[in-house]
Amino acid sequence: MPESIPATLIIDTLKDTFREARAALAAEVAEPPKHGHLGWILSVPDTHQKTVLAALDKEEQIRVLTCATEDEATTIAAGLHIGGEPCVLMIQHAGLYASVNTLRGVAMDGQIPLFYMIGLLSREKDKQPRESRHSMVRYCEPLLDTFGVPHARLEGPDDVHLIPEYYRLSLARKGPAAVLVGLETI
Amino acid sequence: MAPDVKPMKPEEILQIIHAQRGSAICVPTMTTSPHWRTIAPDDLSVTCVGFMGGASSLGLGLALAQPDRRVLVLDGDGSLLMQLGSLATVAGAAPRNLVHFLFKNGVYHTSGAQGIPGGLTVDFVAMAKGAGYRTARSIHDIEDFKHRLPELLKAEGPVFVELHTGLSEQTPMTAGGGVPFPRQVTDLRAKLLRPRARA
Repeated sequence: MPESIPATLIIDTLKDTFREARAALAAEVAEPPKHGHLGWILSVPDTHQKTVLAALDKEEQIRVLTCATEDEATTIAAGLHIGGEPCVLMIQHAGLYASVNTLRGVAMDGQIPLFYMIGLLSREKDKQPRESRHSMVRYCEPLLDTFGVPHARLEGPDDVHLIPEYYRLSLARKGPAAVLVGLETI
Repeated sequence: MAPDVKPMKPEEILQIIHAQRGSAICVPTMTTSPHWRTIAPDDLSVTCVGFMGGASSLGLGLALAQPDRRVLVLDGDGSLLMQLGSLATVAGAAPRNLVHFLFKNGVYHTSGAQGIPGGLTVDFVAMAKGAGYRTARSIHDIEDFKHRLPELLKAEGPVFVELHTGLSEQTPMTAGGGVPFPRQVTDLRAKLLRPRARA
C-alpha cells in the first residue's frame, strides 16, 4: 500500500540533489554560476505537494519561483539550465497535460535535461494510477510513455532515492525525466 | 499608432540593438530571428523556436541564472499573447537585468499575417505596467528609439519596450535554415560556462 512522504524528507533529498548537480557542474566547467542558493523549484502549485511548497517557503537554500503556467515553468527551466542553474519542476498531472507542446519543443526536441515532480492529485490509495476512475490520474503514465519520458512513482518514504536517480537520468539522456508523487505529501 | 508616424523597420531596430548590446544574451523569436542570425550569427543568442510564446520565459530563466549579464528578449505580439501570464511571472521574479522588447505589428506574420486578437489596439504597455514591470514604455519612431536605447539597456529591470513596427522582410518560414535549437543551447551554455579542457 502506498504511503505519504514527509515534506522534510523530500526537501532534504532535493538539497542533496542540487548539491550533487552543482558539484558535477563545477567539475565540468570553468565558470559555474556562484549563487547563495542551491537550486530552483519552478512551481505551478500542486495540491498534492502543498506541504512541500509550504515548507519551502521557509527554506533559504532553495529558491521557489511560482509560474503562471507549466509552459512557462518548462521554458524558464530551460533558461536556467543554459545558464548553469539546477532546477526541479513541481507541477501536477493536469499541468503536464496543459504543457505537452512545450515539453516536446523544449525538453525533447531541444535536448534539455528537465526533471519533473508530478503530483497525482485524486489518485486512490488502493488502486494503480492506470486503474483510477479519474481520467487525470489514469492518463498521466500513458502520456509520459507516449512521449518516451522515463518515469517512476514515489509510493512512500523509501522511494525518495528516485529523485536524484531520475534527476541524473534527465542529465544523462539530455531530455525530460519525471517522478510521480503517488499520495499527498505530509 | 500615431497616424503621422511610419512604422519602424524591424531590421533597423535589430541593427541598433545589436550595435549597443555589448555582452548581453539575446533571445529572438519568430520574425525577429531570421535577421538577427544574419547580423549576430556567432554570439550569445538562443532563438525561441518550436515553442511559440516562450521567449520571455526563456529570457527569464537566463536572467535569473546569469544576474551579472543583461538579457534582451526580442519578442512578438502574437507570441506574447500565447503566454501572456509570463508578464506577471517575469514581474514577480523581478530580474534587474532583463529587457523585454516587444515587436508589435498586429499580425501573425509567419503564418500569413492574420490579425492577432485585438490587432494593434492591444495595449501591452498597460499590461506590463499592471503586471509590475519596473519600466514600460511604447516607442513609435526610430530616432526616438536610438536616443532612448542606451538608458533602456542600463535601466533596472524588468524593463518592457513596445516597439511599433511594420512587417519584417523575412519570417522563419521564408528564411528557413538556421542553427538547430539543441545546438544553439549547447553553444550558448558552453560560451557562458566555458567547459574545462579534457586531458
